[in-house]
Amino acid sequence: MTVGTVSVLVWLLPLFAALVCTRLRSPGLAHGIAAVVMAIATALAATMAIAVVGGGTVTGPHATWLELGTFTLGVGTYIDAMAAVMALIVCALATGVLVFNAWYMHDDPQAARFPWQFCLFAAAMLGVVLSDNLFLSFCCWELVGLGSYLLIGFWFDKPAAAVDPTYQANKGAGARGVLEAQLSPAHAQLKAFVMNRVGDAGFLIGIGALLVAAVTLGRSGDVLGWQNLQEMAHYVANPTAMTIEQKGIWVTVSLCLTIAALGIFCGAIGKSAQFPLHTWLPDAMQGPTTASSIIHAATMVAAGVFLVARCYPLFPPEALAVVGWTGGITCLLAATIACVQWDLKAVLAYSTVSQLGLMFVGLGAGPAAGGKDAAIAHLFTHAFSKCLLFLCAGAVIHACAGHQDLARLGGLRKRMPVVAYVSLAALLALLGMPLFSGFVSKDAVLAAALGNAQSAGGLAWGPFVLACAGSLLTAAYMLRWWLRIFTGEERDHDLTHYAHDPSTGAKVVLLLLVPMTLSLPWTIGAWLPLPHGESHLPAMVTALVLLAVGGGFALWVFLLAPRGGRDVAAGLARSAAPLHAACGNLWGIDKAWDLLFTRGIGRVLAQVVAFFDLGGERRLEQLENAQERRASASVDGVVDGIAAGCAHLGAGSASLHAGRLGVYLAVAFAVVTVALLWGGLW
Amino acid sequence: MPDISPDRLDGYLLVAGILFVAGVFAIISRRNAIGVLIGIELMLNAAALQFAAYGRFAPSAADPQGQTAAVFVVVVAAAEAAVALALFFAVYRTFRDVDLEATRELRS
Repeated sequence: MTVGTVSVLVWLLPLFAALVCTRLRSPGLAHGIAAVVMAIATALAATMAIAVVGGGTVTGPHATWLELGTFTLGVGTYIDAMAAVMALIVCALATGVLVFNAWYMHDDPQAARFPWQFCLFAAAMLGVVLSDNLFLSFCCWELVGLGSYLLIGFWFDKPAAAVDPTYQANKGAGARGVLEAQLSPAHAQLKAFVMNRVGDAGFLIGIGALLVAAVTLGRSGDVLGWQNLQEMAHYVANPTAMTIEQKGIWVTVSLCLTIAALGIFCGAIGKSAQFPLHTWLPDAMQGPTTASSIIHAATMVAAGVFLVARCYPLFPPEALAVVGWTGGITCLLAATIACVQWDLKAVLAYSTVSQLGLMFVGLGAGPAAGGKDAAIAHLFTHAFSKCLLFLCAGAVIHACAGHQDLARLGGLRKRMPVVAYVSLAALLALLGMPLFSGFVSKDAVLAAALGNAQSAGGLAWGPFVLACAGSLLTAAYMLRWWLRIFTGEERDHDLTHYAHDPSTGAKVVLLLLVPMTLSLPWTIGAWLPLPHGESHLPAMVTALVLLAVGGGFALWVFLLAPRGGRDVAAGLARSAAPLHAACGNLWGIDKAWDLLFTRGIGRVLAQVVAFFDLGGERRLEQLENAQERRASASVDGVVDGIAAGCAHLGAGSASLHAGRLGVYLAVAFAVVTVALLWGGLW
Repeated sequence: MPDISPDRLDGYLLVAGILFVAGVFAIISRRNAIGVLIGIELMLNAAALQFAAYGRFAPSAADPQGQTAAVFVVVVAAAEAAVALALFFAVYRTFRDVDLEATRELRS
């Protein structure tokens, strides 16, 4: 088989598995079939990766789907090292997560629904990774959104946190910024979907701008294909004076391309949960932890990074600055919030947001500093470490009967040793400890950002400084997470008494993923496209200092001080109360969105429409239980009036044809008489 | 007040009109199908009377067009009565009644 054929198989096998699994009612069988198919896909993806890693690209089969004038939209695959390794990671993690999930959901009556939704997501994600043009990427991009939507709402019948007695009884002490009335799987899936649409609107505008630019430049054929985009990048590097006139508006082609780049980045902001659209990702933790591990940590949220990397040649320096700054702000902002979260998964969610920000900092560093390679390298290593952390979190939550409050967990190291040390390995990889995978990639990102800052100067220092601050906090809050769960005395004996390591199958999955958190597997061979710049050494020293300071501080606060009987963490929270409150309230961003859109514009619009519709006589609230209908003077009244008029007319005329002969004849005579008289008088 | 002497058209038309209206009233008000049939006969006869009267007072009295039409009306009335009575028999067999209020359904 050629690499192109293999790529199509890798893409379609999960889709086939999804179709088969929809018909299965047995959770065990469905998980088994899905895992086997994903394992086959993993093997195929591995052969694909071996063929292209280290340079070289393969253009797979391509079919034209739509011809629109001079250009076409197509369906096809394109494999380079980045796509092949990403596909391999998606397939491998999906296989592992399916096996793990068979244990995780062994007592869930809805478990049979998981494999097909999960495989559907995997197929869509592979589509994003392997597609050969922006249009197909966009289609699959929307499909991964669907997969995410389905899996966030996996337990769709769970009540909102505000009315859930279990949540109220177990909620963390510091969960203040959370809007409890809106914290339910059903609301979270909607929130994720809608907020992604906001970003995708920008994405579509970007595609449109790209098409306009391409047509103006006289290009034809598959204009959204990667090959063509790379060729068009020539006009980004060498701005042309050519302009586009459309309805009297003049735009230069270069500006059009910049708009396209920013539009694509807008889609990435939504999908990769960047500031200010990041608020959906922490809510997405309402889904099963196993789904979060791959969708909302390892792969789907990284699709934004992947896409920007794919379209990298199109990004002019100004757009890259926007990318870098957005990433930097998100990196620090999410890290500060993660420091004060008490929900076990919320910490990981904000950590994911922060790490995605770090990847965008890398991308923003620009091609000269090797930004793309650094960001992709961090994407790859982060996928494994964060997926593993989420699986471990799932094991802890499962072992403690659904409790995820850091204030009540503790001392689990002795009860769940495998989970404790596996998560420690993943944690160290995330922190960038030497010998672990994160050390290599985080260092590369910081080196790229530093290189860009040194060469460009001025504002270019911003992303680097923000990323450094974020890294410092990452070391602190991730160690806090681990130390609170696994060390110290058991804070709540009843809760953790029955905790134990997961079943053998799940343990094997965890242990198999551990080697990928080390740097060795990544550094043999050319899996990680690492840049080697001048700024490599200072960046490495900076990263290590940050790690030592942040990690050392966390060790002192959460390990050494409690042994001495001092609660330094509480003292810190008191002495920096305003900052602590701001972080705990998620910097007010969730509430601001809620106030501005859900309650503000959305509510006002709803009231306006209701006034228009109901004539202001009935309030919007009454709609929900408005059984009695009464006529009003506006649109609703007109609609109701027409309906009522027709009903009356029907009821009235019904008596005319009730089969009563006398009435028929009387009407007939009356009509004829009137007609004759009228005719006679005419 | 119309002149109702036998030499004038007015009297014949008046009688025909009264007959016609009486027929219409019978058709509309009677519930018994036989009564309706009689009403129809009255209306037909009113028409026949009008034809005969117009024929009698036509400018060319030698041309018996009106009288001919009256004879046709009588023939049509006879045929119509025969058909109507046959229908009434059929209705009666189905419904055991010829009351038009009781036979409003097209099927029994």
